[in-house]
Amino acid sequence: MDTRVQQDFPIDWEEDHYVSRREFFKFMTLASGGLAVGSVALAAWSKLPRDERHFEASAVAKKNDLQPGKAFAFTYPRPTDLCILIQKPDGSYVAYSRRCTHLSCPVDYQPEHNRLFCPCHNGAFSLEDGHVLQGPPPHPLPSILLEVRGDEIWAVGVKSEAPSA
Amino acid sequence: MKNPASMRRRQKSPVFVALLLFNLVLVLIQLWLFVSVLEDVLVGQFRMAIPGAITSLVILVVNVWMLRGIGRMDSSS
Repeated sequence: MDTRVQQDFPIDWEEDHYVSRREFFKFMTLASGGLAVGSVALAAWSKLPRDERHFEASAVAKKNDLQPGKAFAFTYPRPTDLCILIQKPDGSYVAYSRRCTHLSCPVDYQPEHNRLFCPCHNGAFSLEDGHVLQGPPPHPLPSILLEVRGDEIWAVGVKSEAPSA
Repeated sequence: MKNPASMRRRQKSPVFVALLLFNLVLVLIQLWLFVSVLEDVLVGQFRMAIPGAITSLVILVVNVWMLRGIGRMDSSS
């Protein structure tokens, strides 16, 4: 302990561990290198494909559960991931995550406006592709990839749209 | 008459301080850039990732070039 204290707080100036300006310059250049490596890693990470992820397929509803212009709540891929399945007036099916991309409030289907609406801060999403129509949500709703297998509707994956600029 | 070697040393000192300050400013810019890009990436916006990386690499090259310049300055004296 005494040796350590003597090393850290020497009596003679010559024994003190001064950081010279050159050493400081080298350290800053090393830090610059670290930041450059971090920036390149971020750029590489941003190029990874992540917009479409496939999970284990799961039957979420039967065709009889829905009618045109009606919605059906389910969870996918985890039991805690709230989703909403909608049969559009033309008979086709779409499904989205129910979590608003603003503060995760559950969104509701508004058939009269043909949109998904978040009542917390008046955010609204398009029924066509989930893009933001109004309000504070920064990103589109992730859409659930669906497959119709016989009489059942299956969820097979999640697609996150490119964020709106 | 003054000693030319000591005058050269006195001239080098302000040059070194200027380079050091420039290096500090560049590293601060690089840090700000990295944090900005990181914040963007974490909210899902990737537009600035590639330009940020290129700028950061350019700053690194400038810093390494200055460090080598200091080494050359030392060896020439």
